[in-house]
Amino acid sequence: MSASGPANYEYVVARVRHRRASLFGDDEYRKLLRMGTGGIARFMEDTAYEASINRLGSRYSGVDLVEYALNDTLASEFDSLLRWSEGRLYDQVAKYLRKFDAWNVKTVFRGLYSDATVDEIRADFVDAGEFSEEFLERLVAADSIETVVETLDGTLFGPYVEPAFEDYEESGTLVPLENAVDRAYYENLVPRRVTNQDSPQALYAEFLTAEIDFRNARNALRLARSGASVDPEEYFIEGGTLFEASELASLVERKSDLVDRIRESRYGDELSAALNDLEEADSLIGFEHALDRALLEYSDHLSYVYPLSVCPVLAYILAKEREVDNIRAIARGREAGLSEDEIQEELVIL
Amino acid sequence: MFENFAQLTTTLTQTGGSMPAITPKSAAALAVGLAALAAGYAERGIGSAAVGAIAEDQDLFGTGLILTVLPETLVILALVVVFVVPTPF
Repeated sequence: MSASGPANYEYVVARVRHRRASLFGDDEYRKLLRMGTGGIARFMEDTAYEASINRLGSRYSGVDLVEYALNDTLASEFDSLLRWSEGRLYDQVAKYLRKFDAWNVKTVFRGLYSDATVDEIRADFVDAGEFSEEFLERLVAADSIETVVETLDGTLFGPYVEPAFEDYEESGTLVPLENAVDRAYYENLVPRRVTNQDSPQALYAEFLTAEIDFRNARNALRLARSGASVDPEEYFIEGGTLFEASELASLVERKSDLVDRIRESRYGDELSAALNDLEEADSLIGFEHALDRALLEYSDHLSYVYPLSVCPVLAYILAKEREVDNIRAIARGREAGLSEDEIQEELVIL
Repeated sequence: MFENFAQLTTTLTQTGGSMPAITPKSAAALAVGLAALAAGYAERGIGSAAVGAIAEDQDLFGTGLILTVLPETLVILALVVVFVVPTPF
């Protein structure tokens, strides 16, 4: 509600835990896997997505309905998180939810780049971040990427996006801009200095460090795999503990070193099975899903160890996002005519 | 400062005569009050968590209510002290 006063962890954590527990489990996913897109929409009507499905049901159908209902529910769900929380908790959740501001900015960039219509861009927004609806409208209304960069001036993303725009003009690809948005988000997320190791601030930092480490690991592996001749340091996000920017370049060149490095880190135990798979099968998708799963497990672990902190809330946000991604994968996979096994591989289920 | 304090206590004991500054019963009453304060503080956290859980699921009302009033046992136990302490008169 507001950033002043003491944090109300008890209330928010109780609500969030209940919602976390009522997310889809194995059984629901198994049912969903056997349904068509219409069936999925009907199934969602009996769950937490009821309100969105009912509201959007008259306008859309099939996979579009599922897609819009997912985005809509995600936005309202995270808005209510902000409405409940007070004090420092509000502060931390709000900072974390800027993720969706970053997502929206990237959507605008991609939309303009691919000449999408205003409605198409708007449909992909997740209105859960800090940007007001008005500001999002201004972003959508922009006629060129340059105008968007100018509009972003004064926000958190401004100082990062502006220098990246020159790179964009030189190279003609969106990568520098998207990367700048990601870096703006992550580098403003982690508290600069944490003095007391037991404070909630330290926990928050620990969780976010894990997320940044995983993202860096994923970027590094993707680069190593694609063999692209880009400078890995440009993709590096500050704030993690796994890599240093300077050593990333040499690690990317030798993939086995990179894998060893991850194995020796503090995430090694959680990821060892996935790392073995990666070395044997050489499948990056499997490893990325293993990273997602490990992050989910780590966040759950943190939220059990520190029940009265921001961790359960962040764990819930991650799990909810994962659920939305899973349902989307099922609906899209169904539409594309993939088999059950193929879709199953795309899911990340704890 | 300590000298003043010592002086004060001597005056207090003198004016009270053979009576202690605080009677056993009132000390027990103080204990009950402090226990009630602690119970209230404990219920603050449990109560807000319970309301959060009930907001999500009405069926949790019973459980929430029971958990919320559990710290009341502190006050009841403290109340025993009042009967255990002898009356001076």
